[in-house]
Amino acid sequence: MKKKMTALLMVSVMAASLMACGGKSADSSAAAPADSAVSAPASTAAPASEAASVPAASEAAEAESDLAYVQQKGKLVVGITDFEPMDYRGEDGDWIGFDADMAKAFGESLGVEVEFVEIDWDNKILELDGKTIDCVWNGMTLTDEVTSAMECSNPYFNNAQVVILPSDVAEDYESVEDLADLTFAVESGSAGEAVIADLEYDYIPVKAQSDALMEVAAGTSDAAVIDLLMAMAMTGEDTSYEDLTYTIELNSEEYGVGFRKGSDLAAVLDEYFAAAYEDGTMAEIAEEYGIDAEAALIEQ
Amino acid sequence: MELILQQLPIVIRSLNMGFLQTLKLFFVTLLGAFPLGLIIAFGSMSRFRPLSGLTKCVVWVVRGTPLMIQMLIIYYFPGLVLKNPIWGGGESGRFLAASVSFILNYACYFSEIYRGGIQSVPVGQEEAGLVLGMTKRQIFFRVTLLQMIKRIVPPMSNEIITLVKDTSLARIIALQEIIWAGQAFMKGSQGISGAIWPLFFTMVYYLIFNGLLTILLGRLEAKLNYFR
Repeated sequence: MKKKMTALLMVSVMAASLMACGGKSADSSAAAPADSAVSAPASTAAPASEAASVPAASEAAEAESDLAYVQQKGKLVVGITDFEPMDYRGEDGDWIGFDADMAKAFGESLGVEVEFVEIDWDNKILELDGKTIDCVWNGMTLTDEVTSAMECSNPYFNNAQVVILPSDVAEDYESVEDLADLTFAVESGSAGEAVIADLEYDYIPVKAQSDALMEVAAGTSDAAVIDLLMAMAMTGEDTSYEDLTYTIELNSEEYGVGFRKGSDLAAVLDEYFAAAYEDGTMAEIAEEYGIDAEAALIEQ
Repeated sequence: MELILQQLPIVIRSLNMGFLQTLKLFFVTLLGAFPLGLIIAFGSMSRFRPLSGLTKCVVWVVRGTPLMIQMLIIYYFPGLVLKNPIWGGGESGRFLAASVSFILNYACYFSEIYRGGIQSVPVGQEEAGLVLGMTKRQIFFRVTLLQMIKRIVPPMSNEIITLVKDTSLARIIALQEIIWAGQAFMKGSQGISGAIWPLFFTMVYYLIFNGLLTILLGRLEAKLNYFR
């Protein structure tokens, strides 16, 4: 009997705690319709001219959302990963790179400080929506997943997905069809995985592009698909993977900057990009990091 | 080999920075979880049924679910669902959220160890205290507490050593502890990429630190032997 009582009590406590959680979210969702219900009669009662101004007002409220939010806290929190030459630590430990420098310049144009935060790439959308970061600015390929979950800037940078092979066999594979029998290592959730999955070739998803390279180096996979930018930096002479090389370009793709869904900052950044491209700031920063501005940058 | 020697200073510097975070998280967790665990232990031993039931329920949930998920929820839930990002995005926010998760989690484990320790002291001693006219409070602090501390040192040592390694879970919310720092060189960081040895090298840090802890806790145990 005693045991039964305790069990009952525990269950009821749990239920109560669950309901407490549920109650909160119900409250907040209930509050929203209530607000609009209050404003709705007001607008219907108002003369037509004032009713017309309602959409404008709501637009203003939306505009207030992100740009004003960032300016009010005086800080743009940029989510990045360690990704040379886009965002990486310089000699003195500060974040530098093409994207980092562009982000700093953009922050300056907004009159806010820029704070770089290293994130787990898998959690980038969580981080954005949870407002722990304000944008993802890290050589992000504009895939359907990305553009549907984030408010993205215009593409600003050209990239491609390339096939990584051991140098000694690279010449045997000249076309995409030749690759059909190989087993690929690709970064889980990456653009490379999407391409290989489309081709219906055998592949193993791994945690990171670097892991994909290591798979090929270790012989556990025949080939890998990674970003051209990364392939240039990490394979060939004077790199960690001297015996690997990149060959066939599977597709070309573009980098963009991601903001919270519905954010007005994306449009602000587009304007900034246009200005920075026009006056050569963008090309200047690109050259600084050994990027071929002519080929890589996209006209804004 | 030559390459590794060349890279060693860079890697060590980076790992040191990571290990500093690991240590910070470790000590903050202990500092918070030691007292909180005792409070939870009292809660679950309470004669007031709703309180002990509630505490046991909390302990059950916290011990019964992965710390990694708890951390994800504690860090992302306020911003995502409650629309109020209380932790902030910077490194300090991540550290705070990780600390809160670790303290809560470890306090629950500690509470059970405390409870075992307290209940292992024979009831006769409490009865003797009562006969002598001591209050319950006096009995706890003057009779039970020290004996409990002596008895819980070995199981506590276990938890403390596990804690050192568990801190690596905080990388799930991008706290840059030592494993994160070591793994960064696999992907590429500071000009070193595709190197897996820095990750393996982090083991040396854990081993040395846990070795020191083992010695310290062994000494503590020996010191507390005067009860025998």
